[in-house]
Amino acid sequence: MKQRQYFALLRRSLAALLLTCIVSSAQQTLDRSKIPPPGKLAALRVPAWTRSTLANGAEFVVSEKHDLPLVSFAITIQGGRSLAEAASRRGIASLTTAMMSEGTKARDGEALSNALQLLGTSVRISIGDESGSIGFQSTSSKFPQALDILADMLVNPAFPVEALERLRAQQLVALTQGKDRPQTIASRVFQKVVYGVAHPFGQTDTEESLKAITRDDVVAFHKAYFQPGRALVTVVGDVNSTAVKATIEKALAAWPKGGEKPQFAYPALPPTHAATIFLVDKPGAPQSIFLIGNPGPPRSTPDYYALQVMNTMLGGMFQSRLNANIREEKGYSYGVSSSFGFGKGPGAFRTGGDIVAAKSDAALVEFIKELRGIGGSRPITDEEIATAKDSLIQRLPGTFASVQSVNSAIVSLWTQGLPDNYYQQYASKVSDIRKDDVLRVAKQYIDLDHLSIVIVGDRASIEAPLKATGIASISLLDIEGNSKGP
Amino acid sequence: MRKQTLSLLMVLVVSVGIAALPQSKPPTIKIPFETYALSNGLTVILAPDDATPTVAVTMWYHVGSKNEMPGRTGFAHLFEHVMFTGAGHTPYGIHDKLTEGVGGSNNGTTSNDRTTYFETVPSNYLEDALWLESDRMGFLLDTLDIGKLNAQRDIVKNERRQGVDNQPYGLADEILSGAIFPPSHPYSWPVIGSMKDLSAASEEDVKNFFRLYYAPNNAFLSIAGDFQPAQAKRWVTKYFGEFPRGKAITRPSAPPVTLDRETRLVFEDRVQVPRLYVVWPTAGEKSDDRFALTVLDSITAGPRTTRLTKALVYDEQSATSIGTRQDSSEDVGVWSLEITPRPGHSLTELEAAADAIIEKLKNEGPTMEEIQRATAGMEFAFVSQLQSNLGKSMTLADGAGFHNNPGYFQTEYQKMLAVTPADVKRVANKYLTKGRVVLSVVPMGKLDEASKPAESKPFKRVEQ
Repeated sequence: MKQRQYFALLRRSLAALLLTCIVSSAQQTLDRSKIPPPGKLAALRVPAWTRSTLANGAEFVVSEKHDLPLVSFAITIQGGRSLAEAASRRGIASLTTAMMSEGTKARDGEALSNALQLLGTSVRISIGDESGSIGFQSTSSKFPQALDILADMLVNPAFPVEALERLRAQQLVALTQGKDRPQTIASRVFQKVVYGVAHPFGQTDTEESLKAITRDDVVAFHKAYFQPGRALVTVVGDVNSTAVKATIEKALAAWPKGGEKPQFAYPALPPTHAATIFLVDKPGAPQSIFLIGNPGPPRSTPDYYALQVMNTMLGGMFQSRLNANIREEKGYSYGVSSSFGFGKGPGAFRTGGDIVAAKSDAALVEFIKELRGIGGSRPITDEEIATAKDSLIQRLPGTFASVQSVNSAIVSLWTQGLPDNYYQQYASKVSDIRKDDVLRVAKQYIDLDHLSIVIVGDRASIEAPLKATGIASISLLDIEGNSKGP
Repeated sequence: MRKQTLSLLMVLVVSVGIAALPQSKPPTIKIPFETYALSNGLTVILAPDDATPTVAVTMWYHVGSKNEMPGRTGFAHLFEHVMFTGAGHTPYGIHDKLTEGVGGSNNGTTSNDRTTYFETVPSNYLEDALWLESDRMGFLLDTLDIGKLNAQRDIVKNERRQGVDNQPYGLADEILSGAIFPPSHPYSWPVIGSMKDLSAASEEDVKNFFRLYYAPNNAFLSIAGDFQPAQAKRWVTKYFGEFPRGKAITRPSAPPVTLDRETRLVFEDRVQVPRLYVVWPTAGEKSDDRFALTVLDSITAGPRTTRLTKALVYDEQSATSIGTRQDSSEDVGVWSLEITPRPGHSLTELEAAADAIIEKLKNEGPTMEEIQRATAGMEFAFVSQLQSNLGKSMTLADGAGFHNNPGYFQTEYQKMLAVTPADVKRVANKYLTKGRVVLSVVPMGKLDEASKPAESKPFKRVEQ
């Protein structure tokens, strides 16, 4: 090794000389205890996009990206199952989207499936709480053909009634299987106790609601939901902006005008209750599933950035307070975290994880300690807040890697009503957050006196220890979230 | 897996597993890379691409659960966790701070065959990532103590509870591996290990394991993304060049398995819906048969015109879901079928129906159109994978580690494209024989819901 460096020195090029000095001094005195100083941070490169409107009234965004021959296409619909589904028809959104793959007037289900398989793609249709989408990714050469099939599925679904019965039966089995899964039980019970059954967020599909759905319901839901007046059409990737718009106009020519963006008028939240442990018995379970939280603010809150910084410190990273304590220090879990729902409605603040049964009480004490801590009882260090902000800010440049991630970045601005320069402003908004902002939002949005603490686990071994913590009274629920009495 | 962030890996698994359209022209896209070795045996792979301002570093060690001994199962994975507890010059916590704390990410995974560590960082942090990886390769034992080992042991036990013991059907994979492979075979025990063995691991075990397997001659360092190769080479030499070569490693014998008869098991689980598993031992990563076996699984289940899915989920409507899968480990593979029934249909009925369909496929072979449908998605999957620096660095490291060729993915792709109906017919007849394991998972107290209950032996869980 030294021989080679000496040889390099003889070349007498200034660059080689400098380089050799650096390398050799590093090797002779390599001090591994010093953190290598990072280089200059790469500039943020936000992809460019252009906005316009299609003839049918849908908003349209195209973003060219030519490094690989790929395209991501999506039609996103404003509004989702929380307000579009009637309480008595919970589950209709997912049944409708599944029915759209069951054939069109021109292609039966098998012809549709074969055509998509041969194009090497699949059309994904889904409806979430507050928005839905139909889209696909493909190589650029297959894009026009895949688009034509998508348009056929969107505009001309046949909705064969035999398919409805098959899909319904499959969803009923999935519902039954969910009742065996403690994480699924915890999630459903949490929504119910936090929002109540009168609020859309507190409702889920049931055997009863799935069985009530008719083909007419599906036809009506499809017609009312998939309308261009509430849609954003996005295409990202190896396309020409002008040509692709013409291609899309032609493909979607039969999609009739109509519809408008929905109002997100949610009913009032139920009255708060004193902090309560909602215990669901899962006899013999080796772990207890924890979900702790309360309704949260919408994405439009001016406190969004402070909440993001606060949550990153609390439970948004591996070394955040909750995981560093409950997993790494105590070893009670494989991982715990926290998050805010951030949508149009009062999406929940929640924290939790899967806790070894024998430490359920000790873990509850630590969860509450950390929630209290972030609100002021454990001071925020300069390093802690700086790391949280660095993590949030420096994550952004790497998020525009794929055609799909660029597409999602554009869509989320639209669904959340954010400006086109959102990504350019992001760093300065996060940088502006100070410790007192973090403290204020922690106190304001984590309501310690009214928490819902859902625990799904082995009642026989964990109930008494949980009670002995004195943190909250215990209410026993069945796996549907209904009261089982004291 | 150190953390429970699975989504990225799922994407990678999918993109590697899908197959190709024989008649279309193979894509010309390649991953430009160069590879070389340091004098201590460390293999280095560099794949520069400045499309996204991040760099992915994959550090791949050729050691997995198959290098363990019975009685010490789960050790390779437990060790993966220990690798995140700090080393000689990198105190605990600094690894996360210089990856996730600067907008990047990190994790590790352990399989039967290899242990992979990886981080994605903003491109200006590449030197830091190399400093971190080199410190735990060179100086892990400087700061190791039993306290750190015990803390990770508890976490891994919780990982097992979360992924296996507290999941419906969670024990099925372990039961199946244990039934396919004889107890001495290194693929017979689960990567996560047993609770008893995890408790038995000693500090001395950790030290011996580290000295043998975490030497540069057993490691592959793959860097992909926005960086200058000349500079990266200088840093690699600076941080890894001084480590001595380790001792020669004797690889465990993991021979192909053939079963001469059917083993039938039934397991009572906390589930309401029964499920049937049928598993055959097949060929692994090193055998070309795995390409046709992979195409075979795409023909049997998945989209609605695949054979089993069409017949049982759509036409007869006796099943609610069906899956088939070829899993290729380094030395051997497994081809598996999983069926969840609709209410009113028994596992016995479903097993017979599935067998008849597979038998027909073995007799007739698939059509050319079936092959085309099965492989058409591969071009997209292949190109799509190139969008991720991490995906690229892992693909190159796998090729280097398993095939001594970082560019092996190109070979794999060409071989997948070349699969014919005759190939699929041949492997179906060669591997999907009567030598197999059939497992029914049934609700507690409902042994009679098993497929052919009278012939199925109840599996009793050994206390973990």
